Amino acid sequence: MGGLSLGEKNFIQGGIAQDLRSDGRKRLTYRPVSVETGVIPQANGSARVRMGATDVISSVKAELGKPSSLQPDKGKVSIYVDCSPTAAPMFEGRGGDELSTDLSVALQCCLLGGKSGAGAGIDLSSLIVVEGKMCWGLYIDCLVISSDGNLLDALGAAIKAALSNTGIPRVLVAAGASGDEQPEVDISDEEFLQFDTSDIPVIVTLTKVGRHYIVDATSEEESQMSSAVSISVNRKGHICGLTKRGGAGLDPSIILDMISVAKHVSEQLINKLDSEIAAAEAGEDDS
Amino acid sequence: MAGRPGTNPTTYSPSLKTQKTRSTIFKDQEIDWVRPDGRGFQQCRPAFFRTGAVTAASGSAYAEFGNTKVIVSVFGPRESKKAMMYSDIGRLNCNVSYTTFATPVRAQGSDRKEFSSMLHKALEGAIILETFPKTTVDVFALVLESGGSDLPVVISCASLALADAGILMYDLVTSVSLSCLGKNLVIDPILEEESYQDGSLMITCMPSRYEVTQLTITGEWSTPKINEGMQLCLDACSKLANIMRSCLKEATTSSQE
Repeated sequence: MGGLSLGEKNFIQGGIAQDLRSDGRKRLTYRPVSVETGVIPQANGSARVRMGATDVISSVKAELGKPSSLQPDKGKVSIYVDCSPTAAPMFEGRGGDELSTDLSVALQCCLLGGKSGAGAGIDLSSLIVVEGKMCWGLYIDCLVISSDGNLLDALGAAIKAALSNTGIPRVLVAAGASGDEQPEVDISDEEFLQFDTSDIPVIVTLTKVGRHYIVDATSEEESQMSSAVSISVNRKGHICGLTKRGGAGLDPSIILDMISVAKHVSEQLINKLDSEIAAAEAGEDDS
Repeated sequence: MAGRPGTNPTTYSPSLKTQKTRSTIFKDQEIDWVRPDGRGFQQCRPAFFRTGAVTAASGSAYAEFGNTKVIVSVFGPRESKKAMMYSDIGRLNCNVSYTTFATPVRAQGSDRKEFSSMLHKALEGAIILETFPKTTVDVFALVLESGGSDLPVVISCASLALADAGILMYDLVTSVSLSCLGKNLVIDPILEEESYQDGSLMITCMPSRYEVTQLTITGEWSTPKINEGMQLCLDACSKLANIMRSCLKEATTSSQE
């Protein structure tokens, strides 16, 4: 998408000021979301989320590993985002690195909680197999296929859907493992443990254009933003993470106002996502 | 040599702290945390700033906050080989790297890409880029010792270095971070406190304009807690800005003598 002319810029800003955006939505309305789960059969869990023209895929792979010595009773999660050149030609090679790092850091900040593990959206203690010796490590890899704005929200939704779809194989630990030896484990191929994803937060990005905030900005609208705040809210209405993106400064009272707007919007988004994910899982079971 | 006890010189012996398993100080939520360096919960570490640390650079600054030692040098505005396209505003290029001896356990000294991009975002709102079109300003930060709360110290030191280089800015940028330990809000955490934290809040602001340029929150927070945390940090930021201003004034008066 090339540059916007002055007329187009005024049209976007004026529309937002009057609560009528270019595609007819109101300021706080999301684009229709569609969720498919189980798109990557080889991964432990996967999902594809489409929000308008933004298309992302997220996959979860679980591998056995050793827990860190600082937190022997918790598993490990690592989140990585890759921007594919199919989204924009400038993402080829090293071009997409900066955006990928930004998105990965924002997702880790929003979903993984504090260093001690408290407040994490994902319950890490359920990933432990043998305390201090063996734990599951979840590698969450996301791929951006097509980008039309609001990548962070779509990635957050994709991760939530992929985790609901994740089945971790049941592990039977051989009894009598002694001392420092690695315990023998028998990884079952049949039984799977489903992950509890009711506590995973959703990410709501509020983009400030002029004096108003919009939700789910398209890439045109994002080019006009002065700043954006991405807030991760869980079902209980607690903030699980917040990052401010974009260059311009914001008054602290505006940030607090954005937080309350995000909480309000997140309730609808959580309900919508949950019903979409449930429908996708049900559809997958039938086929 | 290692096998003969009693013949080791007593002048210096490397600490074996890394071998000890970390004790869980904080199992019980009721116990109040006592800070190892005796500070109050809302007390920041004493700040030491000095400009003109690197003579070869256009501007530079050295900051020391307790055990966190950072040096930042600014080069520019100068021509950059990387910038191919004409642009009528200046470019800012930031790089944050750690030395290999910065952390308690020797790690490969590498760039921290995420810190570099966060430093970039924190500074770009404050620099008047229109004043140096077609050129680039490079900001290189080196963390000599990491003692906790690294990124806020890097950001504050970088804005001091930019001021020392004479780059036009809207305001000095200061940054403070806050840790949530159980129910306590602890400002300017050290490395040990950061590893136990339940949540963190890092705020970067321009104190005179009362604007927040960057805010990062991790962990679970309720809105009144965020409010309280932000007020604490903004207050600390304005005090830090006064310290930075007096450091800049000292530097100019001593060079005039």
